Amino acid sequence: MVLFRKNELEPEDYSSLADGFVPNPDEVLKTSQYDSELGKNMARDARKVIGGKLKIEDFHRVYSASLLREFGDQYASAEAPNPTNSSESGPRWGMVIDLKKCVGCDTCTVSCKAENRTPPGMSYNVVLETIKGDFPNISVTNLPRPCMQCDKPPCVQVCPTRATYKMKDGIVVIDNDRCIGCRYCMVACPYGARSYDFGNSYEEEMMGYNDVTSPEYGMARGKRKKGAVPEETVRKCNFCYHRLQRGEEPACVETCIGDARYFGDMNDPNSVVSKLAASPRAFRLKEELGTEPRVVYLR
Amino acid sequence: MSTNANVNRDLVAQRRGSLLEKLYWAILLAVLVVGVYSIITGYFMEGMSSTNLSNQVPWGGWVAFYIYFIGLSAGSFLLSTLIYGFGMDKFEKIGRAALLSAIICMMTGILFISLDIGRPDHIMNAVIYWNVTSTMAWEIHFYIVYLILLLVELYFAMRSDLVTLSQTDSFKGKIAKLLVFKKKEFTDEDHKHDKKLMKVLGIIGIPLAILGVHGGTGSIFAVAKAQPYLNSALFPLIFIVSALVSGTALSIAIYVIKCKVKKEEIDRSMVRSLGSMLALFLGIEIIMVWYEFLVGFYGLEHEEMGTIKLIMTSSYSWTFWILQMGFALVIPLILLVIKKTKESINWVLASSIIVLIGVVGVRFNMVIPTLIMPKLEGMPYGHYSMNLSEWLTTFGLLALCLIMYTLGEKLLPIDELDTEENGVKEHE
Repeated sequence: MVLFRKNELEPEDYSSLADGFVPNPDEVLKTSQYDSELGKNMARDARKVIGGKLKIEDFHRVYSASLLREFGDQYASAEAPNPTNSSESGPRWGMVIDLKKCVGCDTCTVSCKAENRTPPGMSYNVVLETIKGDFPNISVTNLPRPCMQCDKPPCVQVCPTRATYKMKDGIVVIDNDRCIGCRYCMVACPYGARSYDFGNSYEEEMMGYNDVTSPEYGMARGKRKKGAVPEETVRKCNFCYHRLQRGEEPACVETCIGDARYFGDMNDPNSVVSKLAASPRAFRLKEELGTEPRVVYLR
Repeated sequence: MSTNANVNRDLVAQRRGSLLEKLYWAILLAVLVVGVYSIITGYFMEGMSSTNLSNQVPWGGWVAFYIYFIGLSAGSFLLSTLIYGFGMDKFEKIGRAALLSAIICMMTGILFISLDIGRPDHIMNAVIYWNVTSTMAWEIHFYIVYLILLLVELYFAMRSDLVTLSQTDSFKGKIAKLLVFKKKEFTDEDHKHDKKLMKVLGIIGIPLAILGVHGGTGSIFAVAKAQPYLNSALFPLIFIVSALVSGTALSIAIYVIKCKVKKEEIDRSMVRSLGSMLALFLGIEIIMVWYEFLVGFYGLEHEEMGTIKLIMTSSYSWTFWILQMGFALVIPLILLVIKKTKESINWVLASSIIVLIGVVGVRFNMVIPTLIMPKLEGMPYGHYSMNLSEWLTTFGLLALCLIMYTLGEKLLPIDELDTEENGVKEHE
């Protein structure tokens, strides 16, 4: 027996060891009521799909018929996806901001400005500070205000060119190449979350500001030039869409010193944001307007 | 001797008239040149940063003037439909002038709003990618249709006189010859045909002007629920009524001033009945404005109360109390109701001129105070007043408007030919 050998164990010894512990897969599979050969073949080909050697469509084509025979009604074929599922698939981003945790340090504002390179006078995110009461009985509220990414956005309703629109993932975006700069959306936004790019620049106080326009929506626009898009169009917070594409959180969420901001998929009932949004502390700004914001505050 | 003296006096008057006219043109052209200069150095070279607009107050004076001119246009057009659509022949003398002023005001309004567009190179997107839920997209289309309708209607209103004019050899005759397309004579059948067409166009134009152009422009503001002060169903109606007020005032002013300049006899009864129409419209407007503010106050909505407070008590409140309430409502209404002043042509003219000045204040108060009011607690109050570049551009466009109107009057048979001939006869 290998266990009583004096010298060092070789790798093959381990596998023969495992053979003894682990039951024979073929024998286990025989007890299943379903076709084991089919399962094994599918597992082999699934590895090929993951490795990129086989197309997922071909995979479905090969196994569709036998799966249907095997599982009957319980099998949903890939050719006829459930229509209700497809519209809900994918994440729908949302943000939760805990006002009890916010200290009003404006880090989110600064990091947003650095990330999106917004020109002077423009800030996608601001922290609104209100002081109530008379000294010494005062209370301070710090209300960070990104774009609410409303589910029923008034700005999208009024845009004459459909340059601003709601995406499937819940984010309200602006096509700056289409925007005519009429600023109607700014008048229609109940949260003041939109700003117009007047073409101002920090170049005089900060060298190299004009060297690159922020890659909003993943668009590389190169140098910031007078009269070039996005100048003279409307801009807004887009939950750092270009960061989301890389799998990163929005800059304000990542840099928040008190972890007051949470970001995630509101479609997933188990996500942190979904759970927090269901908290009794949760509220949304100007709920009475019916805009259905995707930014939830915890009071 | 007496005839000689008469002739001399006429000559002096004529010379003074031509001197005045030269002065008029010189001033207008000078203002236009300055305006064009400021458009080039401001709008074209600096973009929107040449204005005092900000992210808090994204719409300013140019938008206010844009709705002012849209209002003038819709008002004077509606007045002309009373004549051509509903056969109120006693106002026929001002029919074409009202149409011409409707066209020119519409063009001026469109010019103002095009200056407010940040990216003129993208402007066609509003037609290509029409967003059907956007009131503004609808307006852009309505403006185009409305302008075409106005041009067609003016053409058919003038056609009989154009045909007559094309027989003469003057410069005006040559233009008329171009416009009549080789038509030599104007028969009774043509007359009937044109009159019927005018009626149809006038009636199509009424819903277009009320619902489309002016009610629609009012809706651009009224549908913005982010602005509780504007967001009321009464708002587009107030817009339409104040359009009627300013349009009627404009027609009175143009007619009386034109007669005075040309030293023609003024049709007193027509001016008086136009004056009482103006009084009626003012009365309706005062009732509507009253209810708008009453319901606004009882709403106790924080932002709406704040906006009303800004309008009534801020440092710009004189635009409300003097221009909006005084010039555009109460003073002309009193002048047009008191028997002594409503009979006098000069007082009617004066009241229509102060209405025209006052409505500017009305339009400013529609656009700016509600934007100055912060939308969320903790946001700063906006501040806005037009800067020099904006004013120069505005005056340039106003001068352009007057130039276009005067040219239209000079080159086209806007006054009916018969009355002109009568005037000449009487003069002789």
